[in-house]
Amino acid sequence: MNLAVAEAQGCALKAKDFSSGAHPIWCPGCGDFGVLAALERALALLGRPPHEVVLVSGIGCSSRLPGYMNCYGFHGVHGRALATATGLKLARPDLEVIALGGDGDGFSIGGNHFIHTCRRNVDMLYIVMDNRVYGMTKGQPSPTTESDWDSELIPGGSRLPPFNPVAMAVTAGATFVARGYSGDPQGLAELIVAGSKWPGFAFVEVLSPCVTFRPEEFEWKRKVRHDGVLVENDRGAAVSAALSDDGFSLGILFRGKGPRVDHQPPTTTLAAIEEQFLLPSPDMA
Amino acid sequence: MGRTSLSVVFAGSGGSGAMTAGQLFLQAAAAAGYYGIMTQLFGAQVRGGESAALVQVSTEPVESPPDRYELFVAIDWEKIDQFAPEIPLDDGSIVICDPAAGQVPAAIAKSKARVLTVSFDDPAVTRLERALRGRRANVCAAALVATLIGLPSRHLDSALIKLLGKKSAEVFEANKRALKYGAQLAKTLPVTLALDDAAPGERWFISGNRAAALGALRGGVRFVGCYPITPATDLVEWLAPHIRELGGNLVLAEDELAAINMVLGASYGGIPAMTVTAGPGLSLMTEAIGLGVAAEIPAVIIDVMRAGPSTGIASKTEQSDLNIAIYGSHGDAPRIVLAPTSIGDCAYTTEWAVGLAETIQTPVLVLSDQAMGQASGAIPAPTRRPSPGKRRTETKAGEPFKRYAIGSDPITPMPRPGTEGCEWVAEGLTHNEAGLPVSAAAAHAAQINKRAKKLAQIDPGADWGECWGDGDTAIITFGSGVAPAREAAIRRNKAGQATRVIALRLLSPLPRKALRDALEGTRRVVVLEQNHTGQLLQYLRANDAVPASTESMARPGPLPFRPAEILSRLIEERA
Repeated sequence: MNLAVAEAQGCALKAKDFSSGAHPIWCPGCGDFGVLAALERALALLGRPPHEVVLVSGIGCSSRLPGYMNCYGFHGVHGRALATATGLKLARPDLEVIALGGDGDGFSIGGNHFIHTCRRNVDMLYIVMDNRVYGMTKGQPSPTTESDWDSELIPGGSRLPPFNPVAMAVTAGATFVARGYSGDPQGLAELIVAGSKWPGFAFVEVLSPCVTFRPEEFEWKRKVRHDGVLVENDRGAAVSAALSDDGFSLGILFRGKGPRVDHQPPTTTLAAIEEQFLLPSPDMA
Repeated sequence: MGRTSLSVVFAGSGGSGAMTAGQLFLQAAAAAGYYGIMTQLFGAQVRGGESAALVQVSTEPVESPPDRYELFVAIDWEKIDQFAPEIPLDDGSIVICDPAAGQVPAAIAKSKARVLTVSFDDPAVTRLERALRGRRANVCAAALVATLIGLPSRHLDSALIKLLGKKSAEVFEANKRALKYGAQLAKTLPVTLALDDAAPGERWFISGNRAAALGALRGGVRFVGCYPITPATDLVEWLAPHIRELGGNLVLAEDELAAINMVLGASYGGIPAMTVTAGPGLSLMTEAIGLGVAAEIPAVIIDVMRAGPSTGIASKTEQSDLNIAIYGSHGDAPRIVLAPTSIGDCAYTTEWAVGLAETIQTPVLVLSDQAMGQASGAIPAPTRRPSPGKRRTETKAGEPFKRYAIGSDPITPMPRPGTEGCEWVAEGLTHNEAGLPVSAAAAHAAQINKRAKKLAQIDPGADWGECWGDGDTAIITFGSGVAPAREAAIRRNKAGQATRVIALRLLSPLPRKALRDALEGTRRVVVLEQNHTGQLLQYLRANDAVPASTESMARPGPLPFRPAEILSRLIEERA
């Protein structure tokens, strides 16, 4: 749906209804501002009021985001946002749960949780603001950093092949995979809305430049293309497309099937469960 | 007056059915009204290692390991050398074995126990049948011992149905035949071990781990995130179907890091939540425990302790996680640490843990151990329940909500997500009253003080622990140290050496006043614990909670404390 149209039609909620008013610690020009704007728009469009939304994050520049919105939030430890969000969503399926963070948080220290959250298919959205660098610790290569990117810690580059988040997500069993760009808040908001509505785990990789440590990422605005091809169900084709792509095609890239997570109502009482422990009094007759 | 108890070992190689023999015998004795417990001794192998079921049955409640075993039934002699040193026998013991299994090994023979031989193979069963359907020496052995203590066969039959009733009719019939043959064998032996009638009383058949799981459900836990780890796995295996029947969730996480963070997420959502682990898992969880402290999120963490450090001995007990439970995490992260005082008390203590976590809004650790958690049997039905604790969620109308407000009450409301107008962020960074990250010194101190004050205002009342007796010698201990300490004290009291036992249920924050009162009038204090460094004694000393002359009775696991060891060490230390 076109957001401008939706807004013109008079949604009850506005993007500013989701802002906490706190001033972000992000550097001027940081891509994460665009993600914040897109998220506020998307939530307004979804029509979920702030108190029904929980933003769960880990550690890093982008993980500060929950403090900048007036939804419920959980700013936890480094790398574990997906685990926290999974526990929350399973315990409270009525809430709109959105996990978010950066590429280091999600793919390095939290890499294992990324894989298993894709497999588990709990109904929530995961937004990774990928700037291909550890920004908060001032510029070390992350799992998505190009192998020849020079840094103080690893001069000449890590020489490691970059992690491909889209291919990994599809391989691990994710059922909704998309890529957006922070410089296109409207397009990104549409992906966030689609991901939130998806009845399962939705992963949105967002290219979100770090203008401080990766100023060359300014050029992403010329590299991104709205030509991502949606692959339905065929994981092999989707992985193949992700691996041959240059990483700048935007849009929903994969939708597939996964396990359903059901919530069962109680079927018994505690007293009935306790009965199994009681020994009958012996019949000594 | 005749015999009031019997201690018996069923031993064999893994797969010999020694554990089933122990369970069958114990279940039959329980059905006949006796009390009893069984602990399991096994190595690291999943199949084919050594295994022994250590069983005690008694006319009165029993929980302490015995000094020696009166009866040793060898289903086979394979791997016996690996655990013979851990099973005390003496010249008053009786060994029952089948000559077909070979000679009595030196490790057993050196005890000078009386050896009685039987053939576990029913001559009425053809070799072909045995080859096809197995020997069932274990079922036969259970029936033999049950008959020796005078159990009517109907209790064996009912125990067999309970344990093996789901097997095919053919297999079940074969087992019934083995039961019958075992009972006949007993009558050929020149011994009688008949037990007196049991004292009447309501009894439960339960293990420490199941009792802890039940306590969690009673306390309201409806979310569990966990990762399998010995010796905690059987706790969650019992819990899994039952928490689901109650409308809750149990999630098998990808690791302990995920498990504890899932728990924090669920708890943030307003659902009492718990994880269950052992030492290696607890080590992985310590960062998130600090998060639970800082962000003030209720959570229960059960640690069924095993021998450490590192992987240690997965299947055997120790009490060496006290330091990590009390202190583990970077920064100042005070939390609540509890320890059950008996198998039945695992239910009470865990239920209390849930209430404390919810009330104080902080992680609570429950230190169980393998010896207590994996012991199962017929125990007095736990009748007491702790008073319930509830999370405070209501906010004051008309005031802007501040989750981490600094005021006279350090416990501040924690509204459930979904509550309009109270949106707050659980924050692991040093934060201000509103929960926004700050790095100012004043806010840092204010929040640290807030969290410390929450713990300081815990009034455990009578729940702090237990004190039995008023002798001038006191043994302070916790967890699986309690039962053998009590048995040792009973014997000393009979000998005129008045001894009291103090069991700490609340380890942290230390109930200093209650402990001081419990120590009133003592002239000698010893601290009994199963670790090398004397972690409990060091902790009590650091808190200035025991006299300077307090003695340490600490040794590492994995062997359980036996009353005789405690008695002899009480004499040695003095000398």
